[in-house]
Amino acid sequence: MSYHSPHNKSRNVINFKDTINIALAGNPNVGKSVIFNQLTGLSQTIGNWPGKTVERMEGHLAFLGYHFNIVDLPGIYSLSTFSLEEIVSREYVISKKVDIIINVIDATNLERNLFFTFQLLELKVPMILAINQMDILRKRNIDLDFKELERIFKLPVLPVVAIHGTGVHQLLEEAIELVVYRHPHKHYKKRRSIESKHHSHHYYRVEHVHERSKSEEVIKKSFSFPDLNQVTSFGKEVELKIESLSKMIKSFQRNLSSYNYPLRFLAIKLLERDSEIIKIFSDNEEGKEIIEVSHTYREELEDIHGEDINTIISSEIYSNIKKIIDLILITKIKKNKKRRTLADFIDHLTTHSIFGYIILIAVLFGIYFSTFSIGDFIAGLLDDALIVWSDFIYTSFGEDNVWVKVFWDGGVGGLFGAIGGVLVYVIPFFFIIEILQDSGYLPRAAFLMDRIMHSLGVHGKTIIPMILGFGCNVAACAGCRIMETEREKKISIALTSLVPCAATMTIVLGLVGRYLGFYWILILFLINFSVIFIVGRILNKTLPGQCTELIMEMHEYRLPNYVVIFKQTWVRSKEFIFKAMPIMLILGIILEILLIFNALEPVNVILSPVTVLWLGLPAITGVFLIYGILRKELSLVLLSILANSLNVSLLELLTPIQMVVFSLVTMLYVPCFATIIILAKQTSWKFAIQISLLEIFMALLVGGIINFGFQIFISL
Amino acid sequence: MSEESINNKENQMKGTSLNKCLTECEKGEEVIVIRVNAGRNAKTRLANLGVVPGVKITKTKNAPFKGPLEIIVKGSSLVIGRGLASKIIVKCNEACLT
Repeated sequence: MSYHSPHNKSRNVINFKDTINIALAGNPNVGKSVIFNQLTGLSQTIGNWPGKTVERMEGHLAFLGYHFNIVDLPGIYSLSTFSLEEIVSREYVISKKVDIIINVIDATNLERNLFFTFQLLELKVPMILAINQMDILRKRNIDLDFKELERIFKLPVLPVVAIHGTGVHQLLEEAIELVVYRHPHKHYKKRRSIESKHHSHHYYRVEHVHERSKSEEVIKKSFSFPDLNQVTSFGKEVELKIESLSKMIKSFQRNLSSYNYPLRFLAIKLLERDSEIIKIFSDNEEGKEIIEVSHTYREELEDIHGEDINTIISSEIYSNIKKIIDLILITKIKKNKKRRTLADFIDHLTTHSIFGYIILIAVLFGIYFSTFSIGDFIAGLLDDALIVWSDFIYTSFGEDNVWVKVFWDGGVGGLFGAIGGVLVYVIPFFFIIEILQDSGYLPRAAFLMDRIMHSLGVHGKTIIPMILGFGCNVAACAGCRIMETEREKKISIALTSLVPCAATMTIVLGLVGRYLGFYWILILFLINFSVIFIVGRILNKTLPGQCTELIMEMHEYRLPNYVVIFKQTWVRSKEFIFKAMPIMLILGIILEILLIFNALEPVNVILSPVTVLWLGLPAITGVFLIYGILRKELSLVLLSILANSLNVSLLELLTPIQMVVFSLVTMLYVPCFATIIILAKQTSWKFAIQISLLEIFMALLVGGIINFGFQIFISL
Repeated sequence: MSEESINNKENQMKGTSLNKCLTECEKGEEVIVIRVNAGRNAKTRLANLGVVPGVKITKTKNAPFKGPLEIIVKGSSLVIGRGLASKIIVKCNEACLT
């Protein structure tokens, strides 16, 4: 359907669509994902936007005989081109794949939320405004005049309480109304009459039956989408420039048919010097002329206002919003002082200059211990099961059977390796991340760490994936997508992949902790963090570009929503199971085949100059280190198996120095295979390989220094 | 338009009135934004979030070790890196003068 020409196409025509494509748009933390989860349940898919490292969440549902495709756009504040999220959202909304936008608005933060609404309005795509958190606003004795809102925007405006699911399905009814019947007004009238009857009710009750036969009365009424200029118009000078630019663009339009941007939007963005829009125009002479004119206009405006264009336009939008808010806000009792709540107290503690850091460290240990203890428990059960089944398979088919080796030891063993070694840690870990994310703790950590992170060339937000890295690097590296620029994304990923994850910690605890004591663990940690610091410094110096400053919203603490947490945990785990696990399975089979042909023996020999001469380790550890790439703690498991078969304790197999070197090298040498895959998907294979090589180099450097340092120390 | 003349004006104003940068504000102080002297990107982002000249903001938190600071703008709290905050010129709200 086309919204741009409602008069020639759509009047008197009912759109018999049975699939409705909805885009959920809004600021971050407005309850968009809660609404998305309430609507779509478990039928979600996570992917990336084509060619971009931006996450794409899509879900489906059937409702009132229609099929709904819902895309949850990333939470953004504006439709400029500052971040990839903004570009992706803008292009998707305009792509004709979207029938209707549902703009989710946080009622407790109307001004800033409406700023984004104003930007969406300029795209001239049918839209519904969903005002979320109305319950909280009403608790503060503030109400909104929804009638007035609908009059101003000429769009359906619905109150919702997403966490309770109140009003969520009405959004879909309204979407059907707009997309299929193309007539919002009928619905309003009906609802208003209901509203006046049940005045005490907070939420509209829409008992609306959808029958296509009903639409005949709809056809008679002509329908046009609102003239948005009334709401979104700027000051006179700006409007004049926009109008004149629009005229120029109109005569140029033959070249723009592939883009669906409205003229006015293009004009505004040209004035704002939007790089993506300028690209559209700069491919021929006429377009370049328009760009030139827009430059002159901008300079004139900036001269008049003494401000740059983005500030002018933003100020005008905000002053428009202010007017609207004065019209719609109904304050029942004047209450100036906000009471100090528990949330404020926790906020104070977690950003405190002393307690804040103590809590941060406690959270890190909490993540590590809970991920590890839950994962380890389940992994133990799985390993026991594997041993029992292995015995059964070996006795029935013979242990030396080649097929048993390939498919059981390699395939099933690899699968169990993936489940027992990674998945059991990944799932509880996703769960913990979701809690931390949903409650609002992570921005506080970024607030505390911003200063320190700046010395590594990134701002405080990087600490968020790094904290997550203590549980599992795989998920944490995927979390690096929150960084705004490509440069920061890369540095964050590199740093995060060096954080010792729960699996790496098993080696450190099981080897160094068990045989050498707690102090050695601290030393290893110290070395690990120094390496992170050094790698950060190296990347900061070598990657082009500059460190950007932190600008981040810190929303209030809130109780995590269990619906969202469980669903998100499942959806993310599902992604891991179907994307990373098959690769691990194949890799397991390949490794087993290599073992059958004894192809790994030469590996020991090839690696021996490094392992034996440089690191001072036994030659056999070469293979273990290779296995460690697949599953980090495998290197320790294999080491203890070897010790068992030789009937010696690990202490006799490795000297204390060798233990330290071995642990350190496994900590640092390369991220596990699943992490490398995620790394490559987030950036590129080239960068993934570069990072792996850099980390191998760092591990060998540090390992060698410690080895030789000790030997010299002892010989003295 | 000459950037210099504006800067000069601003410096003069700075000398005579109570203009200062956001980093110099006390915790809990309510001020009015005069100008943001940052680069285009940062300026646009701040403007989108409501930090535009004339808007009232309240500084609520200072991170330790010269870290970022938190302000309340239009009812939502925003964390801004110190380097950027030092480029935000504000003046005392009239209310706090009396």
